[in-house]
Amino acid sequence: MPRGESPARKKGGDPLPFLVVEHLTKVYEDGTRALEDVSFTVERGEFVVLIGLSGSGKSTLLRCINRLVEPTSGKIYIDGVDVTALGPDELRRLRRQIGMIFQQFNLVKRASVLTNVLSGRLGYVPPLWSVVNYWPREEVRRALENLERVGIADKAFTRADQLSGGQQQRVGIARALMQEPKLILADEPVSALDPATSHSVLKYIEDLNREGITILCSLHFLSLARRYGKRIIALKQGRIVFDGHPEEIDDHRFREIYGEEAVEVEIR
Amino acid sequence: MRNQTVTPQAIPQIPPGRRSLLRSWQFLMLLLALILVYGYGWRVTQINLGELFTKAHLIRPLLSSLVRPDLLTRDRQVQIARSPFLTGPGAPPALPPSSEGTSLSLSQERGRIGDHLVVRGQGFRPNTEGVLWWENQIGQRLPLRRFKTDEQGRFTLEITVPQTPGLEHVVIAEVSWPVGPLKPSETLKIVTERMIETVFLALMGTTMAVIVAVPLSFLGARNLMARNPVGFTVYFITRTVFNIARSIEPLIMATVFAVWVGIGPFAGVLALGVHSIAALGKLYSEQIESIDPGPIEAVAATGATPLQVVRYAVIPQIVPQFIAFTIYRWDINVRMSTVIGFVGGGGIGFILMQYINLLQWRQAATAVWAITLVVALMDYASAVIREKVV
Repeated sequence: MPRGESPARKKGGDPLPFLVVEHLTKVYEDGTRALEDVSFTVERGEFVVLIGLSGSGKSTLLRCINRLVEPTSGKIYIDGVDVTALGPDELRRLRRQIGMIFQQFNLVKRASVLTNVLSGRLGYVPPLWSVVNYWPREEVRRALENLERVGIADKAFTRADQLSGGQQQRVGIARALMQEPKLILADEPVSALDPATSHSVLKYIEDLNREGITILCSLHFLSLARRYGKRIIALKQGRIVFDGHPEEIDDHRFREIYGEEAVEVEIR
Repeated sequence: MRNQTVTPQAIPQIPPGRRSLLRSWQFLMLLLALILVYGYGWRVTQINLGELFTKAHLIRPLLSSLVRPDLLTRDRQVQIARSPFLTGPGAPPALPPSSEGTSLSLSQERGRIGDHLVVRGQGFRPNTEGVLWWENQIGQRLPLRRFKTDEQGRFTLEITVPQTPGLEHVVIAEVSWPVGPLKPSETLKIVTERMIETVFLALMGTTMAVIVAVPLSFLGARNLMARNPVGFTVYFITRTVFNIARSIEPLIMATVFAVWVGIGPFAGVLALGVHSIAALGKLYSEQIESIDPGPIEAVAATGATPLQVVRYAVIPQIVPQFIAFTIYRWDINVRMSTVIGFVGGGGIGFILMQYINLLQWRQAATAVWAITLVVALMDYASAVIREKVV
């Protein structure tokens, strides 16, 4: 992919960070400035938690990385490939290596669990076969293995909407695993779940991280962020206001990230 | 925290006395208006409940026929004997031979209109009912009498020469009795044939509607189209056409198409089809508007091609509902197609109207039963299928 060549590669002999975000800005059509000059790097195998209030730009940032949202300006490199410069085919080839997990699970509710999991493999199989819903045997086996892994192999032929929230999110994880991803983007994966289920889902994600998959995960609760994140990036009004170890977030920092807004609410 | 800003004092208070006075004044006005509306309605629609009882005898033939619809029949054995009668000069015409062993004789072979004749028949089957016909020179038959043969197979009748055109006439005695097993009646055959035509009329109309409505429904989906001015215009026009077409009853459309393509089932297919395009188009569009964008985003994020996204994220969300709507519409169309024949749209309605106009109550009853049965069956089947699909 000559177009995706990173200029950063030439800087030195050190291996390039896995994910590089440079001066990323996103302005939506209605004028909302979701991201303002965001820059950071992530090493291979890191577990990075994004925190921030609703509307601080977490979802936009995650979606810019696989270009579900087109960045307005700035650069993103994954493995040295310039994501922002990719054409449609190259972008699809990149996307199949990036798993994504969603707050609302985003399963096709009327389809079976198995079909939902298999859809994670769409980037790999011949398009015409998949259009007639033909799946090679080894892909079905792979899907069942991934369901086994998240502990719901017995639900393979159940309709997705028959499952509980926690089970649906585990289907979401299995779908992401079908992609054999190098990177997983998780957009508030546990916000729709109760605390006990949240922990079980996050543990699965933590396991994936131990196997070497880089994780970028936004979370609502700071307590969960502290428990699972090895590194926390805090966004506020589209800007990075903190980037460091979870322990470094003290009362003062907490107020910086969440506080002022809360004060404003009380004034109203 | 935010909840505290809403205080009980913020709710406006109306003094209780004034409020109830206002209420009762409004209530009286409303009551008066309702009395006027329904009083006028009663008069203008000529409601007269008494007629339901005083005119009950008019509907009795149909109702009593309902318990004995024309379903089965048996073959009949027939004996015929003929005898000529002349009201002018000339030789009697040559007649086909009478049934074996039977003969018919008249007290005179020539005469005038109004003459009294004695008709004698013999050699018929004993104790059997028959009809005496008068056939004029151009073969038109007029029933004169019903009779029953005696134990020797004879009968004697007195008749008056009726007023019929021509000079050469034939008196015909026809005795018949049922033989052989029961079999479906001619009416049952016709009704079955027309009922099948009706179901297929609904099927073709619905299919035509689906073929046109599916692509159109995407043009009428706001979430897909209303992203730019051109798209919005297309969306708006599509929806407006749907709404206008939907507001025209299929019966009215059938009268128009019966003029256009002639009376018959094709006019009915077109009428049901055009109405259903609008009805289904609107339902389909609304289904497309209500799809969840989440799965689309999720499937796109796996690196799927646009075609794969449609196949795995869009179609599963709309197809079950589309099928349910379509079966529901077919169900409606079967019901609709039973009456569309009244205005020339073919199907069972056409012959039902004929039977009623000819006062053939038992035949009409057969048609009514067929409609009831088929509509109930369709109703049940569509409910079962819809439950399975959705």
